[in-house]
Amino acid sequence: MKMGMVIDLEKCIGCRSCMVACKQHNAQPPQTWWNRVFTPGSHRHLTPPAKGVEFFLPVHCQHCENAPCEKVCPVGATYHAEDGAVLIDYERCIGCRYCMSACPYGVRQFNWEDPEKAHVRSEYQEKYHYGYPEDHRHEGRLVYMPLRPKGIVEKCTFCAQYRDKGELPACVRGCPGKARFVGDLDDPNSEVSVMIKQRNAFTLLPEKGTKPTVFYLPPKAKEV
Amino acid sequence: MNAKMKSSMWLSGGVILVAFATWIYQLQEGLILTNMQNSYSWGLYISGLAFFVGNAAGGLVLTSSIYLFGVKKLKPLAKLGALTAFANVTAAMLIVLPDIGKPQRLLNLILHPNFMSPLVWDVIVLNLYALASATYLYILMLPELTGRLAWLSIKVDNVQEFSEKWAKRLAPVALLFAIGIHVVTAWIFSTQGARDWWHSPAMAPDFVSVAIAVGTTVVLLAGALAYGTGEEYQEAFRLLGLIIFMAVCTHLFLMMNDLVIHAWYGSGETQRIMEIAWGHFVWAHIFEVAAPLIGAWLLLQPAVRRSMPRLSFSSGLLIAGVFVHRFLIMPAAYNNIPMTMTPLGLPHTDWSLPIATGRFFPGMSTFIDQYRYIPSSVEVVILLGIVAYALLLILLAIDRLPILVKEKP
Ligand code: SF4
Ligand code: SF4
Repeated sequence: MKMGMVIDLEKCIGCRSCMVACKQHNAQPPQTWWNRVFTPGSHRHLTPPAKGVEFFLPVHCQHCENAPCEKVCPVGATYHAEDGAVLIDYERCIGCRYCMSACPYGVRQFNWEDPEKAHVRSEYQEKYHYGYPEDHRHEGRLVYMPLRPKGIVEKCTFCAQYRDKGELPACVRGCPGKARFVGDLDDPNSEVSVMIKQRNAFTLLPEKGTKPTVFYLPPKAKEV
Repeated sequence: MNAKMKSSMWLSGGVILVAFATWIYQLQEGLILTNMQNSYSWGLYISGLAFFVGNAAGGLVLTSSIYLFGVKKLKPLAKLGALTAFANVTAAMLIVLPDIGKPQRLLNLILHPNFMSPLVWDVIVLNLYALASATYLYILMLPELTGRLAWLSIKVDNVQEFSEKWAKRLAPVALLFAIGIHVVTAWIFSTQGARDWWHSPAMAPDFVSVAIAVGTTVVLLAGALAYGTGEEYQEAFRLLGLIIFMAVCTHLFLMMNDLVIHAWYGSGETQRIMEIAWGHFVWAHIFEVAAPLIGAWLLLQPAVRRSMPRLSFSSGLLIAGVFVHRFLIMPAAYNNIPMTMTPLGLPHTDWSLPIATGRFFPGMSTFIDQYRYIPSSVEVVILLGIVAYALLLILLAIDRLPILVKEKP
């Protein structure tokens, strides 16, 4: 089994629902976003950079097969789970931030301060907590905590806490355009494998040799 | 001990205390007290690592010159070289501590080392080099560990001969680790395919040449401060000046060679890098080139080497230039967002995906692709604390241990 994701850019409407679902479900502190949706070429989201050109690009951890973040991690806190997801052990990470420099996709986020303090600083409603409420272990390692300790790095886990219960990642469930699909890349007949073959799927920054397991289906040109 | 030395020690001690308290404060509050954020994740501390590692090269130059190439004139400076090397390599390790988000978990480096990580290699070579320079210093001091210091000494038949023999044996080993610390520290950066500014095979040899330049300057300055600029030391100083000048030229050559090759091809990445490096940071870049060159050229002049103020100024200029060079490791790496693409349907357009800062800045957007990093006062104080540590260690050792050669060379 090798987990993979396909994002159909033709279907993505740029609504950022997945961004918000991801943020809320994974209890991300203020200013921390594991998942970002932008309008390529434009400095303003949902604004076409040129007439007739507009599509939206969601980017989160690409769960690379040749993951530089995993290779640089001095203590093996970043690791590949059995199913191919790249996870961070919140008990192991020493917070050296080497992985943040190594990741070409800019998806890794550091806890610069205690999340509770960050809530106050950003004037979030007092005592308001969102997200999956319990610590979660995957293969024995602590990969999710509703309140992260300060000084460690975090990023997308493909929603390990939900997948272990047989549920889909929050972004997949929360997408109103139904643009996201997960499945087994090792199975040539899985929905994702077939889409990748038939629809000319591409990966981001292939020249970096990271071998992402997140694939994108190209959008058609739009008449805007 | 003279009054000047005494007041320097007190001053360094004071700075260390303040810096230590600042670090405790930072431990409590988190790295929010620095001015780093997610898209600019290493700053002054890691530049400091590269800086101190470079300064530690003095020991390397001296031991290899004396024991491998037989340059006897430099012998009075041998212990000073080993001492500055030890002080700087330990300073390099110390400056990493405040950069670590969870220093209380550092034991994980021993319990769960990932041997693929250049950071683990660096921890290993830095420790080995610290050990090697301390051992080396000890062996050189052995013949003079008498009287008050006799308890430190070991029993051997002919202590002079023993010291000579082991110093010679240790020299090639120390040399290996010494080169290792520069190469491996450079690899931390240059293995990163994500950062075009770093991803260059020129970085490791360049780190070695910068280190030889600045490390030798540190020894020259320390030697002049300790012994004065009397005639009997001029030959040694002249040799050091020559080594410094050649190393600076090699460094500038390696740097320019890399720039020319990339700039000539004119790819998008290089253009972006050049815009950052030569745009906002143009004066810093001019300084990083001019200061070491002028400093090294001045040190070639006999009149400069004979005058304490002029020698200090030239050495200081060179060291400052190298410090700025180390600072500039970061901006062109972090302000050039790796996730930059040509959007479908828009050929010849570069577009960078903004990164979430991860911390609240009043009046600044959460998603950014450019950031002006200026170190916070906490970062500056902690860095000064580490400089003070190296200084205090050197002063204390000179005061308490037989570091300086009493008789004329
Ligand atoms: S996208 Fe970045 S964080 Fe995710 S696996 Fe790849 S290199 Fe690591
Ligand atoms: S910050 Fe944590 S996960 Fe990243 S490289 Fe350092 S120890 Fe590993």
